[in-house]
Amino acid sequence: MQSRSIVLIGAVAIAGAIAMPACYASPPTKASSPTTGRTAWGDPDLQGVWRYEAAIPLERPAQLAGRATLTAEEVAARERVEKEQAAKRLEGLEGAAVGRRSVAESPIRGNEYNSFWQDHGRPRQISDRTSLVVDPPDGQLPFTPDAKKAEARSSARYGVGPFESYLDPDTGERCLTDGVTGMMWQGPNGGHNRIVQSPGYVTILHEEYRDRRVIPLDGREHGSIRQWFGDAVGRWDGDTLVVDTTNFLDRTNYEWANIWTRPSESLHLVERFKRVDATTIEYTVTVEDPTTFTRPWTAVIPITKLPDDTQIYEYACHEGNYAMPNLLRGGRTDAARTSSR
Amino acid sequence: MLTKLVMLIAGASLIVGATRVSAHHAFAAEFDSTKPIKLKGTVVKMEWINPHTWIHLDVKTPKGTVERWMIEGGPPNALYRRGFTQKSLPQGAEIVVEGFRAKDGSLRGNGRDLTFADGRRLFVGSSGTGAPKDGRDAAEK
Amino acid sequence: MRIAAWVAIIVVAAVAGAAIWTHLPTTARAESYTAPRTADGSPDLNGIWQAVNTANFDIQAHPARPALALVPGPPRAPAPGLVRATRVEVPALPVRALGAVGGVPAGAGVVEGNEIPYQPWALAKKKENADNWLERDPEIKCFMPGVPRATYMPYPFQILQGTNKILIAYEFAGATRTIHMDTVGDSPSSTWMGWSRGRWDGDSLVVDITDFNEETWFDRAGNFHSDALHVVERYTPVSPHHLMYEVTIEDPKVFTRPWKMRMPLYRRFDADAQIREYKCVEFVEQLMYGHLGVVDPATGTINK
Repeated sequence: MQSRSIVLIGAVAIAGAIAMPACYASPPTKASSPTTGRTAWGDPDLQGVWRYEAAIPLERPAQLAGRATLTAEEVAARERVEKEQAAKRLEGLEGAAVGRRSVAESPIRGNEYNSFWQDHGRPRQISDRTSLVVDPPDGQLPFTPDAKKAEARSSARYGVGPFESYLDPDTGERCLTDGVTGMMWQGPNGGHNRIVQSPGYVTILHEEYRDRRVIPLDGREHGSIRQWFGDAVGRWDGDTLVVDTTNFLDRTNYEWANIWTRPSESLHLVERFKRVDATTIEYTVTVEDPTTFTRPWTAVIPITKLPDDTQIYEYACHEGNYAMPNLLRGGRTDAARTSSR
Repeated sequence: MLTKLVMLIAGASLIVGATRVSAHHAFAAEFDSTKPIKLKGTVVKMEWINPHTWIHLDVKTPKGTVERWMIEGGPPNALYRRGFTQKSLPQGAEIVVEGFRAKDGSLRGNGRDLTFADGRRLFVGSSGTGAPKDGRDAAEK
Repeated sequence: MRIAAWVAIIVVAAVAGAAIWTHLPTTARAESYTAPRTADGSPDLNGIWQAVNTANFDIQAHPARPALALVPGPPRAPAPGLVRATRVEVPALPVRALGAVGGVPAGAGVVEGNEIPYQPWALAKKKENADNWLERDPEIKCFMPGVPRATYMPYPFQILQGTNKILIAYEFAGATRTIHMDTVGDSPSSTWMGWSRGRWDGDSLVVDITDFNEETWFDRAGNFHSDALHVVERYTPVSPHHLMYEVTIEDPKVFTRPWKMRMPLYRRFDADAQIREYKCVEFVEQLMYGHLGVVDPATGTINK
């Protein structure tokens, strides 16, 4: 019996000695894998720098009313035009659509700079879709009558004013934000988005205005504090990230370059991010806001993954907003001219 | 030729579509389209900020004095992604600015067309700007 | 047989004991805490953190004082029989109405050795900055705070560890830093928040930051730097609830040698802790632009 006890004790002690190192070893590592497309903890991997590169308009153009798609010939024609224009844009010799040929032709409003300032050297993708808006089926934003008037007014004012005080330029010119609704796909001065995933959070860093959304995935309820970007909560629905955002501040009394992006207290956004292939997220946004729209509307936007060495650059806007004092001085000059007549 | 132009306009407008591409430029509030300018000067410094870069330029007047102008450019981020850096427009470079003057008549303007003194466009090929040929300019490959 | 059995037991116990002993954390480290790991094996610094000190007022040791901007009281002819011994400094008019809300609390400072090794010209400039705080402090205008000031401003920040990139989301002005854990090229321009390259050193996140512009300050006391600033941060987990933050400042244009700051960062574990918006750009528009337009929005009257 004693020899059996010895063997037993010995076996236990040896087993313990072998087991001990295992407790202090590093846990098995599981890096994010491009092949599995999943983060180390198993969520679909949406990380990287993304940008909308298609040339589909938000609303269906009038001349294409009733048509959700283009014909193959129409697509081919647009591809030809895009190819011709892409090279010219980079040289600043853009075609009529993007800018003007000479200073003499420069209009008063609109994009006043040669397009080499905004061309990233990547051609735009041509699609057969006629609008990003898929619902309502006519591809038009369902503005309320008041919002339609506001949009017309904003269009007439854009770039022109009058600018009597810092309250008169739009939120972008004030270096505030262009809002959440268009964040994943708009941003002529910096429409790139970096998505970072960490356990329990998806974070989106938008280049323009350095707008940032940190979206928790822990299933919490919406809080009660209102913000410019609302209060976003996310969850995975299979392989689709669904983000529900409410609690926006009322910013309808601010000037907006695009009324469809302005938040109100009744704005409710539902976004869906689905990675459909290695370089594409199908981004769907449903906008519900009785203050601005007669009914909810939905847009589907394909966004493209850029090469891994693409960076988001610091957007110091307010830190160097010479345009604000300049346009206010311009406003005073205008007022002086008017009053001296 | 006219047909081609018409096609270009027709095709291009179908591509851009209805949404205003709001580059946030209150052009008419800052600048006066009835006051075109054409300046030739040397670069003192360039501020690479968003959404407008600003080029500080010393311009010699016919009288022989030197005026310090501030010229508003476009956003720098697309330039960064094509390989340009804040070293790309060096101090002392001679450039020509075509644009419009500030509404209040001060020594400010927007640089709608920017070229080097010899006519080459600014920020198009890095070979024209003194940017290092470090392989990042796709146009050089 | 019995002796051999005891010898066997003792030998086996000694072997097992040695196995246990060699796997204790080494006592060479000051704290023997090993942080948990993320799913991909890195130390887990994810979370919401906040500094609790007065460094944003003044990174050096300082007594309490009435306000951030003080002006000397004018000399006064003494009343007959009275001689006023002390000079008086009173809160400057623009901050006077804040009363005790505008005061500066005392603090021990976070600078190792409590000395900032300014070059002589730079020390004079620091004093000038302090004397002109209202006009010069970039925090007042809601400009991005730079690093390390963003770390110890009185707002929480969140560390978000992604694949190859770690974001630090600050609340003040919505500033964000991207820490590149992979190899990246150079920054194309000088920036407010710097260009951050990070790596792991044991449990510590070490971040090397370059490409600053000269615009940010280290605190509200006028401590500043040039565009030659080079910052190295170390974030070391020392318990489940706090990190030790050490930062080395180097700037050959301004200082005679590198110097360091050190402070704990505390985990915000209250259930509803989150980074909220502090979009202060519009808070300062009246200050910066109110007098520039045709109309002053504060009064509704025409600007002269």
